[in-house]
Amino acid sequence: MIIPIRCFTCGALIADKWEEYARRVRQGEEPKAILDSMGLKRYCCRRMLLSHTDLIDDILPFSQKIRKEEEVF
Amino acid sequence: MNVKIIRLEGNEFRFILEGVDVSVANALRRVMLAEVPSMAIDEVIIIENTSPVFDEMLAHRLGLIPLVTDLESYVLPEECDCKGEGCIKCTLTLTLEKEAEEEGVIVYSSDLQSQDPVVRPVSDKIPIAKMARGQRIVLEAHAKLGKGKVHAKWQPVSTCAYKYMPILEINQEKCLRCGDCVSFCPKKVLAIEGEKLVVKNIFDCSLCKSCEESCRFDAIKVSWDDKSFIFNVESTGALPPSDIVRVAINILLRKLSDLEEGLSIAVKEEAH
Repeated sequence: MIIPIRCFTCGALIADKWEEYARRVRQGEEPKAILDSMGLKRYCCRRMLLSHTDLIDDILPFSQKIRKEEEVF
Repeated sequence: MNVKIIRLEGNEFRFILEGVDVSVANALRRVMLAEVPSMAIDEVIIIENTSPVFDEMLAHRLGLIPLVTDLESYVLPEECDCKGEGCIKCTLTLTLEKEAEEEGVIVYSSDLQSQDPVVRPVSDKIPIAKMARGQRIVLEAHAKLGKGKVHAKWQPVSTCAYKYMPILEINQEKCLRCGDCVSFCPKKVLAIEGEKLVVKNIFDCSLCKSCEESCRFDAIKVSWDDKSFIFNVESTGALPPSDIVRVAINILLRKLSDLEEGLSIAVKEEAH
């Protein structure tokens, strides 16, 4: 849903790297090159970013709708 | 016993520990993982949370944020005068208050207001939650010192590992410089320079013996020094990696002196 704070396996901080990674992927850069330049060496940390889907943007509009209905009642 | 630093850069620390047994190296590794204290959020009081990130998820995310630790100013709750009830010596309060005035506002770790300017999240760019317009998060968090054996959020290291010091013996007379070993080595340890096969970066060798197996002339031999270790310590940012090693050694020494004390008491009682 939202990027995990740390790598599940080794515990290294990865959440602060997500936005730069996502932006650079959108700009068409190779994920391998981005991960290398951000200093993510181990495959446990690399898969955290590689396999992540930021679903929170899809959930956001629904959460707002529920809140509005609550206000009505 | 001897220490040689290979690299000490940012959160990474690589050094050679010479003249010790595996048991000593492993004791040091385990103390670094499980016993070196660091600061992390342990209790969260959620006053308001209308974001799509549930309370428990929010609290869990907050707990995992590594905080820059000041070991001089704080004590472990179990060793504190307040007996773990929470006082200024063992607990630090952080507050977070944010309302989304527009669509898709991200709550960052920089929005956490710490009472102590020294103890703060290691990075300002950690996304904690995302909010739609009009949503609000108001909370109070209590950070405490803790140990990795209680919860991994208190672990000051992400990687902490050692390996034996590799020894590569090349028989230059038998070697025909065919380059097979150079291409077979997954870590790119070997290279041909001029007319000689040379070892370029011995510290990267993973002792896989691919070079030995690929050599048709038996010119290369892989072995290791079992009294010498390459240590790799990577900090989460909570403490500088060299401090982690130093604190770990002190903790190990304290454990041994406690044991010695216990032994001398037992011997004295036995004599009576």
